[in-house]
Amino acid sequence: MLHLLGVNLPDQKVVSVALTYFYGIGPLTARKICSRLSFHRECKLSELTEGQLNQLSGVLSEMTIENDLKRQVSANVQHLRQIGTYVGKRHAMGLPVHGQKTRNNARTAKLLNGKMLRRYSTTPNTAFAMFSSPVSSKLE
Amino acid sequence: KLRSGTSTSVNLANANPQYYAATPRVMLQTLNAETANSAHINKFMQIDDAFLESIGKGHYPGYLETDFKLFGQAALLYRNLTQQLVDQLSEYSKTAAPKKATVIDGKNGAGKSAELMKLASVASSSGHIVIYAHSTFPWVNSSRPYAPANEGDLFVQHELTMELLRTVLSLSKDALMKVPLGKNVTLGKKSLAADKTLADLVEFGIHTPSLAHDALEQLLAIASAQTKVPVLIALDNINTLWCNTLYRDQEDVVLPANRLRLIRAFLPFFEGKAALAKGWAVGATSYIDTRFMPKDLRLRLNPPAMIPITNPDVASDPNVKRPSTDVPFDVIKIDRMTATEAWALMVFYQKTSVISTPVTDALVSQKYVVADGNPRQIFGSVTAYF
Repeated sequence: MLHLLGVNLPDQKVVSVALTYFYGIGPLTARKICSRLSFHRECKLSELTEGQLNQLSGVLSEMTIENDLKRQVSANVQHLRQIGTYVGKRHAMGLPVHGQKTRNNARTAKLLNGKMLRRYSTTPNTAFAMFSSPVSSKLE
Repeated sequence: KLRSGTSTSVNLANANPQYYAATPRVMLQTLNAETANSAHINKFMQIDDAFLESIGKGHYPGYLETDFKLFGQAALLYRNLTQQLVDQLSEYSKTAAPKKATVIDGKNGAGKSAELMKLASVASSSGHIVIYAHSTFPWVNSSRPYAPANEGDLFVQHELTMELLRTVLSLSKDALMKVPLGKNVTLGKKSLAADKTLADLVEFGIHTPSLAHDALEQLLAIASAQTKVPVLIALDNINTLWCNTLYRDQEDVVLPANRLRLIRAFLPFFEGKAALAKGWAVGATSYIDTRFMPKDLRLRLNPPAMIPITNPDVASDPNVKRPSTDVPFDVIKIDRMTATEAWALMVFYQKTSVISTPVTDALVSQKYVVADGNPRQIFGSVTAYF
């Protein structure tokens, strides 16, 4: 296993597949990284030289991935909540954000939405704290 | 899990000897410059072991690996077409080389790669400088390393070029040693004197990967200009020279084949922009992987049936466009094999225990008609269980 930027990458895998093990890198981004560094399609991580690995680390460190990306996404959601947008409220209530129906389904949204808000919340832990407007909290 | 008949047949050749009879080894003449004559037409001949070692055992073009595994030896049928190709090779090695390259085209399994392999084998034994690539798919399918060139917008493939130079050296070392460079050749920081030979140039390219491309280009330039030793350039899967590769540049844009330096070295010979002073440039198309067969080239090689335009108004209309059949090379079409060839094929299959029934007119006719004279389909029909 190759340890790169805090992530264990399987070195027997093809580079473009191994890069998807990073949070924030999917198949397309991985392919673009490989093209930029001129890694052929069937190149495995174990075949890369030290210089190539350094180049790869350099390119990855320029990108927002892993914890930086998670922090950014979390901050975006919190910002939406703080300015009192509809989307922010939906995140807070743990309901679908993009106009989906809630009569049935919406299981994923109920499970996952608002997790970041609940983890990082600074509002009082009262029954209706999630529903208070930012204005009223300032008046208090 | 029961696999297909052909696959099972091939693998049974290497099965437990306690239960399966070994493939009988048929004594065959080895194909070389002396035996490549009309006396051996419609006979199976063994490909020279030295030639096979040079191209790397197991690196057989097209579907031939399956055939050779089943036969237990590398043997191919010496056809009428093979004799024609050998005669042309012999003619071009004595007189001036043709202005255009030649491309062998035909349906899948017609025998294009086999013909090219036989031609390269004969040329190698007759003292030609042979530049033979049994498959150019690895040049374009992004399976081998590549890198941007130091200058320009080209990309280099040092490993592949080194392998090609190694094959050239092992196929025709004696021929290369007969040709002096004729001028000082500078590759990188090293200079090769004029009295050095092409063999030294190729060896230099093999030992210096970063200069392999320069060595190959110099080899092609010097070999194509001299008339002392005839040259054979034989590239299988020639359609890859005009395809879009699976490589991408730094902006993630698909690379066309002509941006690869290795392909660019050979392209002029097949586009009529460069010619050999003595020798022949031959290619064979392949329809195995259609990703690397450009649609335009396929239409030019296999144009649709076109009815002659008799109406003068339509004929003079500039908006009426007909598909172009113009190609920068001569085309040799391989059609179905003859009945005699099919008979020889079946007799060989019977000798190598591929088929156990005696070879009769009825059997050969049946297989020939069902397969429409295509050797690959005849092979498939005798090895399949259904």
